[in-house]
Amino acid sequence: MRKALGLTGLLFALVLFTTIWEAAHEDGTISFLTTPNIRNLLTWIGLFGILSIAQMLVIITGGIDLSVGSLVGLVGVSAAMMLNKGQGLPPIAVVPLCLGIGVAAGLWHGLLISKLDLQPFIVTLCSLFLFRGITRLITGDQSQGFAGAYPGLRWFGNGFIGGTVAAPFVFLILLAVVIGAYLHFSPAGRHLFALGANEEGARFSGIRTDRLKITAYVLCSLITACGGLLLAFKVNSLGPSDFGNFFELYAIAGAVLGGCSLRGGSGNVIGVLIGASLLNVLRNLVNILEIPSQLEYVVIGAAILIGVGLDEFFVRRTKTKARAV
Amino acid sequence: MRQCIVPFALLIAIAACTPSQPPAPSDTSSNTATTAEPVAPKPEADTKVKVAFVTNNTSDFWAIAEAGTKKAAAELGCEVLFRRPATGTAQEQQQIMEDLIVNGVSGIAVSPNDPQNWTETLNGFAKQVNVITQDSDAPESQRLCYLGTNNYDAGKAAGELIKKVLPDGGKIMLFVGRIDAQNAQDRRKGIEDTLAGSNITILGTRTDETDRAKAIANVQDTLVTNPDVACLVGLWSYNGPAILNGVRDSGKLGQVKIVAFDEEPETLQGITDGHIEGTIVQQPYEFGYQSVKLLAQLAKGDKSSVPESKQIFIPVRTITKAEVDEFSKTLREQIGH
Repeated sequence: MRKALGLTGLLFALVLFTTIWEAAHEDGTISFLTTPNIRNLLTWIGLFGILSIAQMLVIITGGIDLSVGSLVGLVGVSAAMMLNKGQGLPPIAVVPLCLGIGVAAGLWHGLLISKLDLQPFIVTLCSLFLFRGITRLITGDQSQGFAGAYPGLRWFGNGFIGGTVAAPFVFLILLAVVIGAYLHFSPAGRHLFALGANEEGARFSGIRTDRLKITAYVLCSLITACGGLLLAFKVNSLGPSDFGNFFELYAIAGAVLGGCSLRGGSGNVIGVLIGASLLNVLRNLVNILEIPSQLEYVVIGAAILIGVGLDEFFVRRTKTKARAV
Repeated sequence: MRQCIVPFALLIAIAACTPSQPPAPSDTSSNTATTAEPVAPKPEADTKVKVAFVTNNTSDFWAIAEAGTKKAAAELGCEVLFRRPATGTAQEQQQIMEDLIVNGVSGIAVSPNDPQNWTETLNGFAKQVNVITQDSDAPESQRLCYLGTNNYDAGKAAGELIKKVLPDGGKIMLFVGRIDAQNAQDRRKGIEDTLAGSNITILGTRTDETDRAKAIANVQDTLVTNPDVACLVGLWSYNGPAILNGVRDSGKLGQVKIVAFDEEPETLQGITDGHIEGTIVQQPYEFGYQSVKLLAQLAKGDKSSVPESKQIFIPVRTITKAEVDEFSKTLREQIGH
């Protein structure tokens, strides 16, 4: 939990820095903390935060899911194809089908990883290619979209509550509450951490590790599928070959920034929320501060390094303090 | 957990408490000539006009356009934000445009990656600022104007060049980043229509999703599977160098004809060396220059430059060995090195 402190500090520092920088430059108007920008930010934090929360579940088990971006692509494109611009299946059928794709993908990963004992990195890396290939195959490489149909359904991806609070952000918060309760306050959640920290030990103490692992991967892919649907509703232009590319890296970055260890056994929901927020604030301020686009990745990479470094610093300091006492 | 809740709640509180209106400039009274223009988020009175130019990827092609935008900015005394989406996806373009609007630009010239599905998104932006499309059009949207190449004509020019380099006919293959982009479709159509009825057959179109490594691999695979292919045609700017590299690596320089689009330095060098037959060039410098000029006029409410058809076509040129030196020289002058 302490890990998120440094990160929160960094987030505040960034918000403050951006505001001051804007106030001190040019005409002094501050665009960063205006309603339109908050609306944009909350939307993207919501959309990418969902993916990070999903990723956190498998990272806690000591695994990883690299297929997130491709699954987002597959689910989004499938939804658009099945809805077929108002000519296809009704949303009431399409949404469960798309979530079903997520469950199937998770089950596939979980079974391969727990029953065949394959490494998560390899299994999900293969899925990254598999899902992307399937997406391109079913569409014939033609971009998909909703062409203005289903405004009600798409509200979940691009709508606002009370004009400011983005619908995906609300979804993220609800999800965080549910997953937080599951992870931090339920026996199953405790078992998940135990599994990630020491799989053998967890098994010997009577935890059904295989079943738990499969659950983690199913939940991860199911939540990713939800995220994929919302992203599709928001973006509305789904290139089969590129929609969702690199999203797994954003998801992992958000989770790791938020204090998840890739070795497994640690991580918390609030940290991940802040990690995902930080990533999106960074991307946003590159444009707001009119930093040349070429520097975008430099800024993001450097800031993640600083964030992780700060975390490590705080953790070590508290450890030394504890030893001194 | 408790330690994090407080700062996080604080952040949410900050977000909730920010003014619901963008801060208005202090002297709104001095300039009320905003007429029926779409209202920019920050209707500034005497400050510089701020406009933006959004590309669809990070190709060299856009460096020339950027030079054009800079010249227009210097001439008109306005500010230009030039944005290149690194991943070249519609989602990234969308985020960039949202941020630009927050940043108070009065108009945006964008090259949309997926015009059909993006119509609604573009319309959303068009309600807030002046939106024009450049390079690739979204004809169904409420964009004020399209400024760029008539890609069908560009395709026809390429078709004519292909006919010239393959007088005895043969098989050709097309290469492009994404075939669902309007400009790619129009160019292909132009080539198809020009070659219809001739003894030249089009084997197909290979796409690489703007992954340049894959673009080269596509070329090499084609040379393996179709050893009798007579001419390779690259529809997007980086496809020219990709084809050249692929052909060179396969040891087939001189055996396969190459026709390219646009003016990447490697393409021009290839023409000088005689490895590439020719290239159909657009005039990206003009895209940049005229887009900014148009946006600056629109910012003042002057719509006189927008034609009835809402399309401003900038003609293409065919550059072969005869023209390449003169063309390269002008290009160097435009970019300024």
